[in-house]
Amino acid sequence: MITRRTRRRVRAALVYAGLLSITLVTCFPLLWAALTSLRPTDEMLRVRLLPERVTLAHYRALLAGRPMYFEAGSGYTASTVPAQHFLAWFANSVLVSVATTLISVAVSTLAAYSFTRFRFPGQSLVPYFSLLGYMVPSIVYVFPLFLLIVPLGLADRLPSLVLGYLSITLPFCMWLMWAFLRSVPLEVEEAALIDGASRFQVFRLIVLPLAVPGIIATAIFSFIVCWNDYLIARIFMNSITQLPLTVGVMHFFEGVHVDWGLMMAAAVLMTLPLAGLFMLVQRHLIVGFGAGAVKG
Amino acid sequence: MTTPARSSVSGHVPPARSARSALSDRQLGVLFLLPFVVVATLFVVYPAAESIRLAFYSKLPFRPRLTFVGLDNFRYLLDDPVFRAAALQAVVWTGASIVLQTVCGVAIALLLNQAVRGIHVFRGLLLFPYMVPTVVIALVWRWMFNPEFGIVNASLRATGLVARDIYWLSDPRWAMVSTILLNVWKFTPFVVICVLARLQSIPPELDEAAQVDGAGAWQRLRYITLPQLRTVLVVVIVFRTIWTFNKFEEIYLLTRGGPGTSTFNLAVYAFEQATANLRLGVAAATGVTMLTFLFAGSVLYLWLLRREDT
Amino acid sequence: MNRRQFLRSSAAAATLLKLPVAARAQGRSGTVRVWGEPGPYGGVAVEGMNEWAQKHAPGLKFTIETIPWSDVYPKLMTDLAAGRPAHCLSVESPIAFQLMAEGLLEPVDDLIDRIGRNRLIPGARWEYWGAWKGRQFVVPAHHQSHLLVVRTDALQQAGVTKSPAEWTWHDLLTAARAIKAKTKLFGLCFALGRTIATDYYVISLLHSAGGRMFDAANKFQVVFDSPAAVETFEFIAELFPTMPPGSVGYTFLDVVDSMATGQSGMVFYWGRVFGRAAEVNKEVFNAMEAYQHAAHPRTGKRLNWNDFQGWAIPRENNPYVREIKEALVYIMTSKEWPIRYVHSLVPNVSPVFQDVAQDPRLTAHPFFQTKRRTIFEYYTEALKHASNSGNELLQGINPLAGIVHGRGIIAQGVQQVIIDKRPAREAVKWVHQQLEGVRREHIRLVV
Repeated sequence: MITRRTRRRVRAALVYAGLLSITLVTCFPLLWAALTSLRPTDEMLRVRLLPERVTLAHYRALLAGRPMYFEAGSGYTASTVPAQHFLAWFANSVLVSVATTLISVAVSTLAAYSFTRFRFPGQSLVPYFSLLGYMVPSIVYVFPLFLLIVPLGLADRLPSLVLGYLSITLPFCMWLMWAFLRSVPLEVEEAALIDGASRFQVFRLIVLPLAVPGIIATAIFSFIVCWNDYLIARIFMNSITQLPLTVGVMHFFEGVHVDWGLMMAAAVLMTLPLAGLFMLVQRHLIVGFGAGAVKG
Repeated sequence: MTTPARSSVSGHVPPARSARSALSDRQLGVLFLLPFVVVATLFVVYPAAESIRLAFYSKLPFRPRLTFVGLDNFRYLLDDPVFRAAALQAVVWTGASIVLQTVCGVAIALLLNQAVRGIHVFRGLLLFPYMVPTVVIALVWRWMFNPEFGIVNASLRATGLVARDIYWLSDPRWAMVSTILLNVWKFTPFVVICVLARLQSIPPELDEAAQVDGAGAWQRLRYITLPQLRTVLVVVIVFRTIWTFNKFEEIYLLTRGGPGTSTFNLAVYAFEQATANLRLGVAAATGVTMLTFLFAGSVLYLWLLRREDT
Repeated sequence: MNRRQFLRSSAAAATLLKLPVAARAQGRSGTVRVWGEPGPYGGVAVEGMNEWAQKHAPGLKFTIETIPWSDVYPKLMTDLAAGRPAHCLSVESPIAFQLMAEGLLEPVDDLIDRIGRNRLIPGARWEYWGAWKGRQFVVPAHHQSHLLVVRTDALQQAGVTKSPAEWTWHDLLTAARAIKAKTKLFGLCFALGRTIATDYYVISLLHSAGGRMFDAANKFQVVFDSPAAVETFEFIAELFPTMPPGSVGYTFLDVVDSMATGQSGMVFYWGRVFGRAAEVNKEVFNAMEAYQHAAHPRTGKRLNWNDFQGWAIPRENNPYVREIKEALVYIMTSKEWPIRYVHSLVPNVSPVFQDVAQDPRLTAHPFFQTKRRTIFEYYTEALKHASNSGNELLQGINPLAGIVHGRGIIAQGVQQVIIDKRPAREAVKWVHQQLEGVRREHIRLVV
């Protein structure tokens, strides 16, 4: 006789089995990159699951800037070594991503509050604006955007990336915050208003705290978009010290030769901040997306 | 003075405020909206509008002048066999990706909705691919699917599933499969997040009542759970279709549209027209074509759904 | 935040945005951007320019931007379209030729005399680097040819006894097949991806077979469709089974790795491959030797693709033209910098001046201990068999080549034969049509 308890245990086992196998597929690429980054170069071409010897040489090369070209015995060191710029690239990515995220969140939250609390003509078009904003493919509008940036004197400068990324993040952030704020009840606000609070105080002290899950979801989305972008950075930036990580790392691949260990180490270091950030806030993310998805 | 929207108190004028903040509701509303409107107009609306305008112009490289050419750019597209192939490939790529993402996404979300211990850990791990920069996963993919040194071929050969190396990125058929796989790996989590959020807001009583009534697991899934997911799936599919159709980096960084032009989609085609052939007008025309296609597709899809509802 | 604060912060934001514009308008202090292809030599030259700047223009700083090969053409075009090209360029000659014909480069005749009109190595002419309608626009930096690089151990193992110095196309094919059959290596490797690299390889084979893209003597009419072109495409199709199947996606680097990691027994490549092999696999390095290409059985030609690379100075939106010219003269007439330049990547970078080529310090590099013969194949012998798609058979510079390569037209033609299995004749006709389209669109450049 199959008891209820047994059936539940079997079910749990099946669930775990499913979860584990899917997790393996999902996480294997990055695991493999991490394993490769610890493998010494001479082992790279023999395919084995675990490295025979573990080495941190690739990480050291990345952080200290190891020359990639053969150097003559003349003692002269070339100054065109990509690896020595990895930290600069990392800093660039962080700067631009944080700046864009702050601006995205601030701008879209304010605007969403305005859209949901005050009456304006064309309010119902807001969600469609978001949709349309993504229909024009990025490879097409990036060129007019570049031609707009240049006369401002911002070409090859990090602020241009912030402006470029805003064009990607704003539509979706706006939609998320709008959907989220719509679900925040009005009664508390109105009570406070009647009691004499200013509209701005109401926004700051009552609505914002309630909107935190949505804000977190918007911020995460924004950050991911900025950290991961390749196309806009490639078109806008030239100087090797001004590149963000995505474009910089491609230099390893298309520079002089392919150094898999170095590249996998770079891949790991590029992904870790996002992974860490995500682990911290994943619960909020699901709530935030959820509210938006349900209402939309 | 204006009253706040949807206020339950009609015609009520709030009491006088302190002298420090002299902004009325309307002024505050406009102020809050201003940054968004400025940035959106300059950096969202203007480039999009300009890129649509460019579709009707031609620009020689090295010369600043734009010449109006009417529909010539579109005629060029229709005559170009690479464009036709790229359009077909775009549909195949998008269609296969969306179907796989949706099916896997719903399945995984259902799995993640189970109340087993440690589910939070799995939720974190399974949403991970969405975080990974495309550059990173494209490089790792190239490494994993390297025909000589990659782990994928090595495992396939070791387990005896294949006799000879598969040229994942150099064989036209496999290249398309590789790009679809990468796309599915990376973006299924997005579907999972949205569906899971919805699942978590479904009251468990519905399911339990059905269980008490004797409905099997599969029936419960089909008649209770899936219908609840309808609205969120519509949103997710529309968004994902738009994003996938326009995707550039996933293909470009993995195969550059190759081998040959076998993994070109319209975004890669437009990029090549702009940068290699220096035909900005043609690239913009491709963009307009993509925009029209997506717009029409979305409208059709939503209309069909509304019809189904009635 | 009240109204006053808001206005103040927006004023601050506006000022911040204006700052970069203000900095650009300043005078003799600033950054001179120099573009180079991937490799250490661009950086070496820039160090030399900075030495000049320290002495004569202390406010200026030269910086090198190396652009990955796949990006050179798109980047250049995007920046030119936006009106902000780099201030000094060192790019592959077909691209420089296109810019030259468009009137975008500064003439440098005044520099030639100061550098030394009679200094060029025998067999080289100033025009090869970039002269248009009687004026020089490019200052020679180096020349770099691609040669036949073989692993002597692979040839031995495959039982190939005839010296590569005497090979014809038939011998090359036989050797490649033998290596593939009798060793674990692929016979031959060169790039067949949809990139500029493929164009270069195919063009040198085409030239050896007696074919050309354009007729220099006849207003650059397209003459691609010819038995020589069909023969070239068919030859490549015959070679392909001996090559790594992945080579249909290969670009420059992949070919380097193919030799250095011990995947192929022979490659067509520039000198860089030796440096890489020395770093990665000493055994392979020790066995490698370079030869001139196999001779075409009928014409006897064994041509290579020589990128006569030099410095070009964009004319518009360039506040540093004078300083760049001075800096170039400085490094070209110095005793040290040309040697350092050549030493930065032996034997890829071949010297262009007689005195440098004969300088005893040139051979002080460790490679000359073991690879002396190979190095001189690159330095001197290759020049005798040099050709270039922008200057086909060295008979006249054609600015259309840059456009052709930017679009990868030749590469696409070859790929039709290799990937789509289209008959060579049809693919050649397709390429011919494309070339005619290029000529039509840019007719003002060539008549």
